[in-house]
Amino acid sequence: MTWHDVGSVADLEREGRVIARVEGRDVGVVLAGGELRGVRNRCPHHGGPLCLGTVEERLVGEPGAYALSGASVLRCPWHGWEFDPATGECLDDRTLRVAVYPAKTDDGRVLVDL
Amino acid sequence: MIDCDIHPQIVDPEPLLAHVVEAQREWFRTQPYFGLPGYSWTHPSSWYRQDLAADGRPPGGNVEAVQRELLDPSGTLAGVLNADDAVLVSLMPSPYRAAALARAHNDWIREDWLERDERLRGAIICPAQDPEEAAKEIRRVGEDPRFVQVLLCGGAERPYGEPRYLPIFEAAVELGLPVAIHSGGEGMGIAAPPGGAGPVTFYIEWHTLGSACSTMAHLVSLLVHGTFERLPGLKVLLIEGGIAWLPGILWRLDTNWRALRSDTPWLERKPSEVAREHVRFSTQPLEHTDGRDDLLWEMLEAAGAPDVLCFASDYPHWDFDDPAFMLKRLPEAWRERVLHDNAAELYGERLKLPAAA
Repeated sequence: MTWHDVGSVADLEREGRVIARVEGRDVGVVLAGGELRGVRNRCPHHGGPLCLGTVEERLVGEPGAYALSGASVLRCPWHGWEFDPATGECLDDRTLRVAVYPAKTDDGRVLVDL
Repeated sequence: MIDCDIHPQIVDPEPLLAHVVEAQREWFRTQPYFGLPGYSWTHPSSWYRQDLAADGRPPGGNVEAVQRELLDPSGTLAGVLNADDAVLVSLMPSPYRAAALARAHNDWIREDWLERDERLRGAIICPAQDPEEAAKEIRRVGEDPRFVQVLLCGGAERPYGEPRYLPIFEAAVELGLPVAIHSGGEGMGIAAPPGGAGPVTFYIEWHTLGSACSTMAHLVSLLVHGTFERLPGLKVLLIEGGIAWLPGILWRLDTNWRALRSDTPWLERKPSEVAREHVRFSTQPLEHTDGRDDLLWEMLEAAGAPDVLCFASDYPHWDFDDPAFMLKRLPEAWRERVLHDNAAELYGERLKLPAAA
């Protein structure tokens, strides 16, 4: 496991994500609920650029009522499937999971470990 | 064999009118066909099996005819009498007239039909355009255990998952009754047009699309509104809307559920899983497959068959499925469940089948 530089903290804060090619894979780091989450930039559903999606608070609720769950999800920009950015689990199809990686910042740079 | 769809015909209006409150009886007597909405699309020759028609009147007009032409030759253990055109009370402009006619028809079924053959069971019709009144009628009639389901028609002002209809489903669950939605009435009276692309031209279009599209719409609506999450005891039987489309619509719905879940965030489970638990389908009219029945069974298996299919004959209509023919057509491993077990489970205690069954 090696820490890789995938972009600047300034870009992450401005765009909500940074994406770079690391060891033959596109890997992104997104900001979700104030945490840095390293996520492979390939949706396991259809191959879409998952990290270009939006980080949102997942909605829940009783029938006919909408409520915020307090949990962030990464929503794929292609078909809207939602993933837990911490575990990589697809919340709407538990058979699917996207690879996730530890991420951190160091001296103004965003690093991801894989 | 249990038959989920037998249609008693009103051949003589007077026995039915006798159950209408006196103050309204004359109104119903003088209206064309009791004031029920008329058909804009009619069968080009006959709505009925023409081998049965007697004296130019509809067949199936009394218990003896049903016994002779259906129950006895098929060995049917129990058959559910689903109102024919009278189910269209829900599409009458006046909910007050609708309530009066529904009440009379339910009483007519109880007294003129159920009393005369212990194999017969009733379906409760109600004025769905006035759901509170409908719920009252369901509670009134549902006290009689021989009524085994609530009956709604496919034609509706809006799909049945709309919260306005909840009182109907709540009353049914309270009484342990499944709710059957029978195709028909699409585009009639106050109902939305059939087919989803404006009024159709021909009966063949109405019969092909109206019934299938309304059935799909009610199924999807009930699922996405979370009706089964609100009412975990609810069972719905979809009658005569076709079934070959079922796997396709469930796959499509599941796909959209994953993509669009923020629209209906209360749906925790795949809609197809919920459908499999709560929704049953009548077999009739089972699509002809040009010799590809193997493909049909495989498709239906993906949608939960054989556990979700219940036999229905649709006697005495022109497109009925003959019980003996269906017995041969169904895969052998499915027969017991489709012809008997699934309906027995759906109707439960109210069916009270003879011990010999």
